[in-house]
Amino acid sequence: MSTRVLAAGGGEFQPPGTNSVIYPPFVAGITKPMVLLVLSIIIIGVFFWLALRKPSLVPGKTQFAAESTYDFVRNTIGRDMISGKDLRPYLPLLVTVFTFVLVNNVYGFVPFLQLPTMSNPGIPYGIALVVWLVYNAAGMSRHGAFGYLKHQTSPPGVPVGIKPLVIPLEFLSNILVRPLTLSLRLFANMFAGHLVLLVFIMGGEYLLLHGGVLGMVAGPVALVLSIVLMFFELLIQFLQAYIFTMLTANYIGGALEEEH
Amino acid sequence: MLEGNIAILGYGLSAIGPGIGIGLIFAAYINGTARQPEARSVLQGIAILGFALAEALAIFGLVLAFVFM
Amino acid sequence: MNESTAVLAQAGQPNPLMPHLPETIVGLISFAILYFVVHKYVVPRFEKIYKERSERIEGGIARAEEAQAEAQRTLEQYKSQLAEARAEAARIRDDARAEGQQIVEEMRTQAQAESDRIISQGQAQLAAQRSQIIAELRSDLGRQAVDLAGRVVGESLEDEARRRGTVDRFLDELEATSAPAAESTKS
Repeated sequence: MSTRVLAAGGGEFQPPGTNSVIYPPFVAGITKPMVLLVLSIIIIGVFFWLALRKPSLVPGKTQFAAESTYDFVRNTIGRDMISGKDLRPYLPLLVTVFTFVLVNNVYGFVPFLQLPTMSNPGIPYGIALVVWLVYNAAGMSRHGAFGYLKHQTSPPGVPVGIKPLVIPLEFLSNILVRPLTLSLRLFANMFAGHLVLLVFIMGGEYLLLHGGVLGMVAGPVALVLSIVLMFFELLIQFLQAYIFTMLTANYIGGALEEEH
Repeated sequence: MLEGNIAILGYGLSAIGPGIGIGLIFAAYINGTARQPEARSVLQGIAILGFALAEALAIFGLVLAFVFM
Repeated sequence: MNESTAVLAQAGQPNPLMPHLPETIVGLISFAILYFVVHKYVVPRFEKIYKERSERIEGGIARAEEAQAEAQRTLEQYKSQLAEARAEAARIRDDARAEGQQIVEEMRTQAQAESDRIISQGQAQLAAQRSQIIAELRSDLGRQAVDLAGRVVGESLEDEARRRGTVDRFLDELEATSAPAAESTKS
């Protein structure tokens, strides 16, 4: 996108658009997000390998970090949402989702990478699809196909008269819309955060170079603010990974829940 | 002079409701934590969940803005 | 590459909601690999560590309880031993006291007997000496008296038997008269 700005040159300021997250492939159809995705699983794998190479009851530094991550997913997110023994089979999924989303989000903060992979909608779509399949399959194997649909679409305690209204709505929100909101929330947050940062950085640069006297003042301010925003984005990136994992756990927990 | 798409305006409108909603959720969370600091960990999960659900509405707005662009 | 940039340039602002399918596929594959690794390796390891840790803690608690029970038992034992020892000591003390008393008693009786014996022996000795002295005195006094009488009378008393009878009679008379006096001096 920097070429675009340079091309725009001294003329009109070209705001960063949606194409700023879409990179042309380097070689043979391989794009930047693909490289980052592969890098992410290497990072996570090496991190866990280092932590668990020599596991001890009294953890070292790396093991402690890995254990805190695991503990966060297991006890803070998982325990709340999925009750008791049901948690263990879904724990790998939750850990995978959390670490995968977190690392891919935090790419937005890492210098030179500077692109949250999740700001490309294809990847959240894929993960959300997996989550959708998992929680529906979990619910169906627990309650049976019809029992599961009944469980998800007709909440107990609703008067019979309103049921025709409630059932389609619940079906819409619990079955159809969930994967969309799950993936789009992640995508939109990452995408918007990335765009905001770009606006601040490129706008600040433009003001500094072409903005005249006022721009000489406003440009640096914008650049400094962009650094502040970057840390704010770091918080958002973590929060989104947390929310994504928590909602995954919540959907699974809700599907497995016994009828009251 | 003004360029752009009216769909973006729609997104702006759709962000109002969730904005208020998220504000209310966190106001309640802060209130609850102030009254009962030991309930913080319980409230946190619920607040974030509520935040995520309210945010979903704003996301619909954003999606529709792009769809009708 | 050129083609896609051309497409981008032509479209201007592409719709960001449209997924780039190869990226989705790469994302899903990486996700699957990561899931496999976490499922096979990470979670079981962590669960093992957790289990070991909780077992260690529970074992520690059990051990501590055992140690406490042991300590309690030892304390009880010690206390009972102490009480026993105390009772024993008291008993021994009582015994010793009784024995001492007995010994003192025995000593006392022994000493009494000894002193009695000594006294009686002394008395017997005294009596023997007295009777010897009396016998000596008697013979001595008789002879003196006879000598004196012979000198006074001037004649030797030939008849021994007669003489002795006279002296004895005289002495008996003398003893009879001096007996009350002797009684009083003796006491």
